[in-house]
This record gives sequence, structure tokens and C-alpha cells, in this order.
Amino acid sequence: MTAPRSRLFIIAAASTAVSLAALTASAGAQEAAGEAGTVEGAITVYTSVTQDTVDAVLVALAETVPDLEVEVFRAPTGELDARIATELRTGGLDADLLWLTDPLSIQRYEAQGLLAPLEGEAFEIVPEAYRGDTFVGTRLLNLVLVSGADVEDPPASWIELAEAEGVVMPDPGFAGSAFAALGYLATSDDYGFDFYRALKDNGTVVVQSPVDVVNGVAEGVYKTGITLDKIARANVANGAPIELTWPEPGAIALFSPAAVVADSDDPGAAQEFQAFLVSPEGQAAIASTGWQPVRDDVEWPYEDTVVSADWDELYGSQAELLEGFYAIFGD
Amino acid sequence: MTDTSTTSLGSEPATGGSAARGARRLARRWAPAAALSVAAGLLVGLPLAVLLRTALEEGLGPLLEATASAGPAIWATIWTSLGATALAVGVGALIALLTERTDAPGRRGLRLAMLVALIVPGYVAALGWLNAYGPGGLLDDLFGVAAPALVGPLGIVVVMGVEAAPIAYLIVVAGLHSRAEPDLERAARASGASAIDAIRSITMPLLRPVFAGAAAIAFVLSVTSFGVPAVLGIPAGFTTMTTRIYRDLAFSSDPASFVRAVGLAIVLAVGAAVIIALADWLLERRRADRSGVFAGPIGHMGQSAPGPQEEGAGRRRVRPRALAAGAVAWLVVGTIVIVPLLGLLSTALNRAPGLPPGPSSWTLDNFREVLDPRTLEALGNSVVLAAAAAAGVIALAALAVMARRGRGVGLTGSLLGLTFALPGSTLAVAVLLAYGASLRNTLLIILIAYLAKFWALGYRPVAAGLDAIPADAYRAARVSGAGAWTTMRTVVLPALRPMIVAGGLIVFMFGLHEVTMSSLLYGPGSATLAVVVLNLQQLGEVGLTAALALVLAGIVTLAALPLLGRTGVLERVGWRR
Amino acid sequence: MTPPRRGPAVEARAVMVSYGETPAVRGVDLVVAPGETVALLGPSGSGKTTLLYAIAGFLPLSGGEIVIEGSVVSSPTVSLPPERRPLAMVFQHYGLWPHMAAAETVAYPMHRAGVDKKEAARLASDLLEQMRIGHLAGRRPAELSGGEQQRVGLARALARRPAVYLLDEPTAHLDTVLKADLQSELAHRMRADGAAAIHATHDVEEALAVADRVALMRDGEVVQVDRPDDVYARPVDEWAAHLTGPASFIEGEVAAVGADGAGRYLVRPDWARLDGPLPARVSDVRFRGTHTDYRLETDLGSVLVREPGPARLDEGAGTSLAIERVWRM
Repeated sequence: MTAPRSRLFIIAAASTAVSLAALTASAGAQEAAGEAGTVEGAITVYTSVTQDTVDAVLVALAETVPDLEVEVFRAPTGELDARIATELRTGGLDADLLWLTDPLSIQRYEAQGLLAPLEGEAFEIVPEAYRGDTFVGTRLLNLVLVSGADVEDPPASWIELAEAEGVVMPDPGFAGSAFAALGYLATSDDYGFDFYRALKDNGTVVVQSPVDVVNGVAEGVYKTGITLDKIARANVANGAPIELTWPEPGAIALFSPAAVVADSDDPGAAQEFQAFLVSPEGQAAIASTGWQPVRDDVEWPYEDTVVSADWDELYGSQAELLEGFYAIFGD
Repeated sequence: MTDTSTTSLGSEPATGGSAARGARRLARRWAPAAALSVAAGLLVGLPLAVLLRTALEEGLGPLLEATASAGPAIWATIWTSLGATALAVGVGALIALLTERTDAPGRRGLRLAMLVALIVPGYVAALGWLNAYGPGGLLDDLFGVAAPALVGPLGIVVVMGVEAAPIAYLIVVAGLHSRAEPDLERAARASGASAIDAIRSITMPLLRPVFAGAAAIAFVLSVTSFGVPAVLGIPAGFTTMTTRIYRDLAFSSDPASFVRAVGLAIVLAVGAAVIIALADWLLERRRADRSGVFAGPIGHMGQSAPGPQEEGAGRRRVRPRALAAGAVAWLVVGTIVIVPLLGLLSTALNRAPGLPPGPSSWTLDNFREVLDPRTLEALGNSVVLAAAAAAGVIALAALAVMARRGRGVGLTGSLLGLTFALPGSTLAVAVLLAYGASLRNTLLIILIAYLAKFWALGYRPVAAGLDAIPADAYRAARVSGAGAWTTMRTVVLPALRPMIVAGGLIVFMFGLHEVTMSSLLYGPGSATLAVVVLNLQQLGEVGLTAALALVLAGIVTLAALPLLGRTGVLERVGWRR
Repeated sequence: MTPPRRGPAVEARAVMVSYGETPAVRGVDLVVAPGETVALLGPSGSGKTTLLYAIAGFLPLSGGEIVIEGSVVSSPTVSLPPERRPLAMVFQHYGLWPHMAAAETVAYPMHRAGVDKKEAARLASDLLEQMRIGHLAGRRPAELSGGEQQRVGLARALARRPAVYLLDEPTAHLDTVLKADLQSELAHRMRADGAAAIHATHDVEEALAVADRVALMRDGEVVQVDRPDDVYARPVDEWAAHLTGPASFIEGEVAAVGADGAGRYLVRPDWARLDGPLPARVSDVRFRGTHTDYRLETDLGSVLVREPGPARLDEGAGTSLAIERVWRM
């Protein structure tokens, strides 16, 4: 027989029990959904692509391929890599498809044998330079220069950057795009690590991400920076006091690859999504959020003169390049 | 006349009745303690054991090597925490003396401001400071003045100090009421000492143990702080132990980093435990006060009420010195609390970085954009987790009360005290190792970490309340015919209900803005609001981050309102008289 | 030549003290002459401590004035800090500093007054000797009993050599023997010192024992100020009568000193004796060691009679009563 005063305890215990039960059930449901794959056309995508682009693609997907359900987990590249590593260590990758922001990480996974080979003709429209055995580029990220609106004579080429003052750049250890720049500039005969030394001597500051670069330049903390074209354009459109300069001889480009996980429970559905990403509808969605599409039959109003590193060469020398960079700039 | 040999009052006579009844009685006596032990084992014991085992599996050599490689991070943690502690205790003690021992105007507002500072989570404060005082911040935009070293160790010291100051404040206030009672100062005044003299010769010496306790807690809080070093340290490449663990676990796929994370987690936990034990021992020597370092602000309910009040009796004239002191205090509070919030607001409303603050750049787009379905899902997660944690802690607190059966502090109290010092980072790593295989990426694993971490927090007021129940209350119940279990149920638990509820509300509030463990344990669909804020900040989305941080702060304040208003928590700590 | 008359030591003129909106002392007028001990007698909550604290300077006034030795020390616009008023205080809970030994504590006021350290130590030691606790000079409060602590508190107050002593229920937490002891001690000290004293207490026997005059306080007001025997024998109303001693009331006519026709009269236990003209029945008998209290029911009312020695009547017995003295209410 319970006295009314112990009602509180009963309620508390009961609600804890109920919450625990609910949470366990949902945990179980998540796992079940992941394992059984009973629902036709439901996949999990791990991606480091910006949220707005992912959203646009999903909306377009719902219109074109309505019976494909996609659950997305989005995190920055480094975090995503760590999560994948942890999952591999503790029982297997939950994802069906990886959609990343730079070629290097995906190449690592290809080398580990985690990815399924690219199949089908849908991918042939993508230029070879942006394709691998298992992955296909879905958009181009271009590294450009951005300067404060009040800066006179902003640098117009990569070479000029080494002589400029108040320069800020993103961290290649944190941002895949920054690594692409490192890969191109450090291995090129025209620039090399001397280029970076010159930058350092001129007081260049390293911040985390391309977004931080734009923020810093807009706030007037720095004069010029290296960032991604889409981010610069979006901020200019919002009225930030900055200017985008397309550098000579071209912006440094990297591509954003998508690959199907070999162990996926529903590789067919995953491949459908992968194909959608390079389809006209998918590419249009991507372009609508400000990223250059890989298909040249999709409208792209901006400049597209780009230079690019030889990605095959870069795959093996990643650690070396980062070491070289940090030797100059410190950790 | 036969007599029942063993009788203590209330034990049922050994009427050769059913063994079943006896067994049931036995079960009832030990059930709470057993349930408690099982809970403790699952929540804390098992994870810590697995942590240790994993560490040993890696081998002592590699473990030490990996930990040593994080030497700079360890040193960084120590010296920034020392600085933050000095700042926290200094500011907290000064403001405490001001609000409790002077007649400076606006004291009530000051107390409230301290409470508000307590509610705002550390990383929101860090964001606020950045947006207010950092380069490109509000002050920079308005006056061209910016604090240069805000991003980096100096900023970490300042903001961690600010984060811990309200706790130090509450501890000193409680100390002023219990160890340095107003009567003692009056005796000094009546013996010819001026106000300052009295504080110097009487109050300060008596407060030494209180300061030691406040310093110990502030130090542990700073050492285990994650949000502030994450927001202010990571962008500058300045790493502390907690952010090192985070980067090693969440950002690196290198197995060596994992070993280092494990090693650091253990070092962190051991360090915190040692500090707390040391402080407790120091305090123990001074006075026979069992509660030691954990005689925290919330734990000091039921202490002697302050004597006849010395405020607001129709003063029409205010001394200039008091006015000046009040002004200084308000300046301090304004700098610490108000301006950072304004900085956040300004950034949240700004269309794009670099635009001058003012209505022409204002837009609600940041708020609109940030409150998308994903964020709302995270908000839902936060609320569910916080509520479940609060309910769980309430149930555990009730269990602990029944297990104690009214006897002294005992093992339960000390153990719970220890888990309070357990760093969130360590706990998260341990829970991940223990339950990650089966519960990875679920809300449940986060809940387990919350329960393990907040259990002690919610139990503190209950323990204090339990201490305040006079022994005679138990004896009266027994003598009126209630057995031990019934006494618990009908006398003790109802008396403790306000404390238990207060404990639950506190846990709910802390659960809403917890970031240290959530950032290490979340997965697809199980992100909390705090994690979303952190991720946005790392992406550099200043406007969205500021907007969401404000929303988060608003929600947490809403959750704290019932706590502030009810249960007489404030009265007992001497806030309202 | 008559020496010039000194003014009052303490004067309270229409003193009002409030906590926020709630008044705790309402319009109290009180004059304490030099060398005089005035007791503030009243139940808890009557405002005794509040008044004391206001005189000490711990609480501000919302109305009226407090004058000490001719100077206004408290008014709604003026407030002289406590340390600059010529007074000393003995606290209900002793108010001893946990971190100081007895000798240090007693020397404290002297240090504040600028007395040389060595001299102060000597004087402190003397004072403690006079209190007969010289051997406890090195002990801290935690190592002293209640009575010893209160003696230290008293010595500390004496060390200040003030014009006025304020005593806030000084024997409240001591047992009966110590109480009586300390009461004598206090009375002798105050007399020897020649200083004025205001002694707040809820214990009527203490008030009557130590005071030159007793002020009765109720709800923040002073109801009556008189010499002890006046306050005992001629209380101003029934509440005061109950406060200042065991009180019985009779209605009717009786032949006794102070009687004046029919009316309502106060009868103290020592104003009546057994065996007299009034028939009575014993309704309660209590032997209290030095005397026995008999409650007698009569036609005029219920009367408490106190007679020395052990009980000589049983409960329920019939007896008779003589009322020798009454006071008209």
C-alpha cells in the first residue's frame, strides 16, 4: 500500500523507466532499419558537403526519384573521418554511401577496399580527371582570392599573394579544400614550399576553415584571404564588404567525390543516389546552391578557369605535404 | 514475563511467523541499496573499469608515451585553470562581500546577475565574449577597440574564470552565513573595529577554508571545462586536455590518437579526484564539518538563518563609498554578462560579417535559417535527454535516501562526491568504450553519460536536506509505531521532496546545455542543441552560431525559472530574506 | 555644592525600526541614567533585540533618535558606526571568534583602541582572572563550555570600558545554576563599573534580579517602565501582570490591602495564604523544592497560592484561603 507522498518517487521511477524503454526501442529500431534493409530504397549517407547543398539535392531527389529514402549524417571532414574509423573499428560502417568534400579522404577508403566499383554509363559524362575507380566527382570547389572592399590593388594571382600583407588562409589539416591548395602549390615548380615560406615571412595567418577566412576579411581583421568561391559569393550577395578575385592563372579546383560503400545493405539504392548526383537534375540542384557542377551541360554563369593538382600523385604524399606545411607554420 | 531479546524500537517481534514475511522484510531493507549499487555499477563502475582495461590492454609503455606526447596540453590545462581559479575566487569573493556585508545599492540585482551568469553555459559565454570583445566584435565595430588575445590562452583564462565565478560566489555567500556569521562581525564592531577592520581580522581568517573549497571547485571546473577551450582554443591551435581528447576521438582516425585520448582521460580523472581529496582533507583538519569541500551553495540549505537583517530599513541617505562599490560591481557584472549577450545579439541579427552593427544590417534570416528541422530535432533530443536525466536522478536520489536509512554520510555520500569530480570527457570516453559497441549513435548512450555525471549534482541538495533532518524526527516516528521503511516513506521522503525536486530541476537545466559528453557521443539523429552550436561554430558560421546560442541560452533560462522561483532554494542560501 | 547632574547615558526618543515594510520597534521612548541597569523584558518577537541592535548601530532607524551621552548617534539621517559609539555588547550566542583564543578575544577591543600590545595582554589576563577563568586564557571557543564562553564574552565587553553595556539575553543558553551565577556576576560588575546597562531578556526572574528599572516590551512598544517591585506589584494591565510573575485574577469583593469595592483584582502567589476566611478547594498541588504551589478554586476565581515547605494538602481537599493583598486591574 503506497502512501500518497511517495507518488513523486513512483512517478519519477516510472518516467525514467518509460524513457529508457522508449530510447532503447528507438535504438533498436535504428539498428533494425540499418541491418534488415527491409524497406526498399532506404539508405544512409555520410557526408561533409554543406547542409544547404544536401538539402537542395534531397528536395530534387524527392521529385525525381520519390521512392528512395535518404537519411543523412553531416559532419566536417575530420570528424567524419574519425567517425568512420571508429565504426570500422567497432563493427562495421553504417553508411551506404559516402559523399565527401575532397578526393584524398575518399581515396584512402578506396585503398582500404571499403568502396564498391563505379558501374554504369551514367558516370561517363564526368571528366576523367574527376573520377576514380570507385568514386565520381559531383561538384567542383574552386579556391579563389577574397579581399576587403577597401583594399587598394588586391592581389590578382597566386604569385602576387606571396608579396601581399595581411593575408589569411585556411588550415590544410582541417579543411580538405585547403589541402587541395597545398597539394597544387607545394608540388608545382612555379610555387613550391618557398611560396609558403614567403607567405609566412609576410605574416600570413592560418585559420581553420574557408568560412573563417571570409569572416576575418569581412571584419577587416585581414586584408586578403584564400577561400572557396561559393562562400565568397554568398557573403558578397549578403552585403559583406568584400570582393572576390578570380586568381591568375586560374582558381585551384578540387572535386567532391561520392562513392558507394562495398558492404552496403542496399547497394542498388546507393548507386541510384550516386547516379542522381551526377544527373542533370542533381547537378542543377547543386549548382543552384553555388557550387560549380561537373557536367558541362548544366548552366554555370560564373568563371571556370581552373588549375588542378595531379590527384593520383597526391594520394601517396599527404603526410609529407602536411609535415612540410606545419614545419613552416607550426601546429 | 518473556521478553524479546533484541528489541530496538520498531523491529517486529519474532513471532515465529512466516519465513516469507521475514524474507520480504529483508528484501525491503536491502532493496534500495541493491538497486543503487546496480545503478552505480552500470553507470559509473562498468565504464570506468572498461576504460582502465582498455588502457592496460594498450600496454603501459605505449600509454605513457602517448600521454606524454600530450604534455603541452596537460601543461596548458594546468596553468589556464590556475589563472581561471584565481580570477573566479577573487571576483566571486569580492561580489559576495559586497552583496552580503555592505549596504551598496542594487544588491538584489547583483545577486540575480550572478545567478544568470551561473545559468549561461561556458561555451555560450565564450561566444558572447568573442562577439563582444573579439576582433570584429561589437566593441570593435562600435569603437574600434578589441581585446587582442581573446582567442587563445588568455581568453580561455578569462572566460573560464567568469564561468566559475558564480559558483565561487555562492560558496562564499554560504560561508559568510555559516562560518563567518554576521554576529561575529557585529561583536567586532561593538568592540571597536571599523567595518574594514572587522572584515580583515574576523571574517577573512574564518573564510580561509571557504576560499580553499571555492578554489578547489573552481579549479576542477576549469580543468574539466570543454566548451570554453573548444570555442576559444581550437581556432588558435591552443589545445587543453579536454579539447585534445575531443580532437583525438572525434577528428582523428589514427589509432595512436585513440590511445592518447584514453590516457588523457585517465590523467584528467585522477587529477580531479586528487584535488578534491586534498581540499577535503585540508578542510577536515580545520573544522569538524563533514560536508567538506562539497558544502557547496546548494548543499548548504538548512544552515543557520542570517540574523536580523541589515537592509532596506528606509535609508534615505547612502554613503558615497557604498555607492562607488555598487557601481564597480555593476560594471563588473555588465562586462561579464550583459555586454557579451549584446554582442551575441548583434552578430545574430547581422546579415553578413563585416557589416556595421545597426538596424540597417539587421535581419532575422539567421534565426530563420538556424531553426530548421534538423535543429528542431536536436532541440527535441536535448529536451528528452534532459528530462529523462532529471527523472532518473530523482529516482536515484530517492533510492539513495532509502539506502542510507538515516545514518551518517557514509559510503554513498563520498562515492557520489567523487563522481561529481569525474570529468565529462573521461566519462564520455569510458561510456563509449563500455557501451559503444551496442549503443553507438543512440540517445540512450548519451543518457547513460548524463545520469552518471549529473547524479551527484542532483543528490547534493538531498544530502544536505537529509543532514538537516534532526535525529529526533526518526525517533519520534519509530516510537509512534513506524518501521524503518515506513519512516523513510512517510517522514523522510516527504520532508525531502522540495530538495529532490530542486535536484531534478538542476539536472534538467544542466542537461539542456551539456556539450562535453554530447559532442563525443552523438551520432546521426542524436545530436543535441549544444552539439549543433559547437558544430556551427567550428564551421565558422558566426551569424548562425550566435543565433542558435541565444536560442539555447533562452531555453535554458526558461528551464531555470521554476528553480529560481520555487522551493525556497534562494531563501535557504540567503538570497531572499 | 551639588555636583552637576550628568545627562542620561542613553536616550531613545520615539525610536522606530522597520524591516522593509514591517515595523519591529514602534515609537519607543526610553531613558537610561548613568550607572543604571534597565531590563528590557518581553517575549520573543517583542522587539528587544531589534531595539538593542538599533542602539548599537547595527540597524538604521526609520524614525526617532538615539542619543548616547548627549550626542545624537542614530536618526533617519545620521548613523554613527558601531565602533565609534561608547558601548560594548554581550551576545546571546556568545559571538566568540572561532579562530581566536580567549586571551586574544579579550584583548581585541584594546588593540582596536590603540592600547600597547603588552599592556593589552596584561589587562586581558587580569580580566580573565577576575572572571575566574584565567586558566583558560589559551583556549578557543570550541574548547570552552557555554558558561565559560559567556564569561569570555563578558570580559571582552568589560575590556572596552564603555559608557553603556548592551546585553542580549546573556544567560539564555545556560543552565539554571550558571544562569544564577552569571546574573550575580553581571549585577556586581555593572555596579562596580558605574556604567549604564541595557539588559534584554525574556526571563522575568532575571529581569527583576538585575535591573534598577524594568521596561516591558510588547510588539515593538514599551508598555511600562518601573522599578522591579513596582512592575511586579503594580502591573499596568493583565498582559503585563502575566509577564512579570504568576498571576491570578479574582472578581468580586474582598477584604485585602489595595481592595476598593467590587472589581477585578490581581493576586500574586505570595499575596495569599492558606487558612483564612475564604472557602476553597484544592485543584492542583505542585511541590517545587523551596515551596509548594497550590491552585485553589474559590467563588471569586482561581487563585495560585505559594507556601514554603512541602505539600500539606492533597488534590481535591477542601480548605480555606486568606487574600492579604490585591492590585486593581
